[in-house]
Amino acid sequence: MNVNKFPEIKPKGKLIKKIYVAVMLWIVGRAIQAAAKVDREVKEEFSALRDDFMVKLWVAPGGPAMIIGKDKKGVVKYLGWNDKGKKVTLDMKIKNIEGAILVFTFQEGTCEAFCNDRFIVSGDLPDALIFVRVLNIIEVYLLPKIITSLAVKRYPKWSQMNPLRKFGGRVLIYIRAFTF
Amino acid sequence: MHIPGYYEFCNRVKVVSGHKALDKLPEMLKSLKSIKPMIVTDKGVMGAGLIEPVKKSLGTKVKMGAYYDNVPADSDVKTVKEIAKLYRSSKCDSIIAVGGGSVLDTAKGVNILVSENSDNLMDFTGSGALKRPLKPLIAVPTTSGTGSEMTLVAVIADHSRDVKMLFPSLFLLPDMAILDSRMTKTLPPFLTAPTAMDAMTHAFEGYTCMAKNPLSDVTAMLAIQLISQNVLTAISKPGDLKARLALANGSALAGMSFSNSTVGMVHALGHSIGAICHVAHGTCMSILLPYGLEYNLHKTGHLTAELLFPLAGDEVYNRTPLKERPFKTIAYLRDLNKELGKVTDGKHFTCLKEIVDRNGNMMVPKDKLPEIAKLSLNDGAIVYNPEELDYDDIIMVLEHAWEGSPLDLKKIRKGKKRSKI
Repeated sequence: MNVNKFPEIKPKGKLIKKIYVAVMLWIVGRAIQAAAKVDREVKEEFSALRDDFMVKLWVAPGGPAMIIGKDKKGVVKYLGWNDKGKKVTLDMKIKNIEGAILVFTFQEGTCEAFCNDRFIVSGDLPDALIFVRVLNIIEVYLLPKIITSLAVKRYPKWSQMNPLRKFGGRVLIYIRAFTF
Repeated sequence: MHIPGYYEFCNRVKVVSGHKALDKLPEMLKSLKSIKPMIVTDKGVMGAGLIEPVKKSLGTKVKMGAYYDNVPADSDVKTVKEIAKLYRSSKCDSIIAVGGGSVLDTAKGVNILVSENSDNLMDFTGSGALKRPLKPLIAVPTTSGTGSEMTLVAVIADHSRDVKMLFPSLFLLPDMAILDSRMTKTLPPFLTAPTAMDAMTHAFEGYTCMAKNPLSDVTAMLAIQLISQNVLTAISKPGDLKARLALANGSALAGMSFSNSTVGMVHALGHSIGAICHVAHGTCMSILLPYGLEYNLHKTGHLTAELLFPLAGDEVYNRTPLKERPFKTIAYLRDLNKELGKVTDGKHFTCLKEIVDRNGNMMVPKDKLPEIAKLSLNDGAIVYNPEELDYDDIIMVLEHAWEGSPLDLKKIRKGKKRSKI
């Protein structure tokens, strides 16, 4: 039996959940692109990645998806949801929409989702870890402490992220994510 | 008992354990429909004459396809490629890996290449890279530590980049594992001690890290009990086959546990020390285990406390007040390390600065700690550690482990406290 030809059994619709996750992926994708310009730590994390780095974070079996990659100049860009014609170097698949809902409603942190076998990762593991760290920083920027504390193992202390950096960065990231 | 909202547990390795378990080898090959196996081993196994019982059990019934006995101490992508080439040219149809962790992991790497008909191991990193069953693989461990005979992961170094790469996939689980007490009987004390502590670390991290589940918990508990009760006997009486078999079973159980619950910071830091300073994996684990437990104490103290029972026995457990149990567990492990140091004539190390090579040179100079810390940040195991670790946290832990001083619990930057103790 050729496993590659085995028909994939698709779950039923769950349209509302898919739309919610698609919107969240769009926001997170745009926020990562903005944070890569605004935040020093995110910038450093991306600079450690290979020049042709491109990650696809998506929900099996048929999406939604988010693609982030570096362009020729090394600038981090949100590249939409369609990977056609793109060379993805890191594929992070959430096994099903229910797992994705847990992650994107912040009931489960990214690390916790890894521990609960929600993800299947193909590609360089260190790259995946860097991307998880970036996601954690983005959550701190985008969300209030009371929600982020549920999703990250340790909310950054004052010494790691002072209020000026946090609130200033939050405003800049929101402006950039929703404007240009 | 912690029951996760969702978890997966898979272990489909057929285990054959006994004082003469190797005698089942021809039958096992037959059941796997293999007629031309390849043996992969190393010079240490050859020197100790451990390949003889394997050859004897195969007798004339099985035609050997190929034979490779030069696996280095640190599994390496180049070696994997070389062995895969030999496998193909000899037209073998299965692999028998006889050795410690390095040999078993190398054999898993070879199995990826020959099954996928590829020359580039890097194409198969990540948990979803392998999509179909591989060629038959029989694991015959000659140390009681790695647990690789029961795990779905292979750790293979890339010396050109000074990194150890993880290849996790259910398809990497060996088809069969043979635990034969004769295979570990000749393991010298200075190797028995750190390899047993490696298995102990698998069980401890399997029980205390984030991906734990009820099935991994049970196997971890039993593993700790078997290792704790038998390690000193196996060292003081190397010929005690019962103790050797118990250790082999403890190691396999620990492997089964962490293969389904993964490991944490002890392994993340240990992999990096191994990759940069070429220190044996078991040595890193023995030293770092108490530090890993201390660092996570505010989150997993209640779990560490529970492990005092299999580690020290019911008497010690019952007479230790609840609040003191996690500290007692850590102290017990430190004492065990010291005891192992005594019975191995100082060859079992208790801190990083003590580690020396055969010529007496220090293997982990203090100026290497920043490099180790940077590399550790990108080790997959760090995701599963209960508490967050950034560069500064790792440096702090490494400095204490280098000096051999316990962590200052007040200095640990803590996330939300979860431990009930």
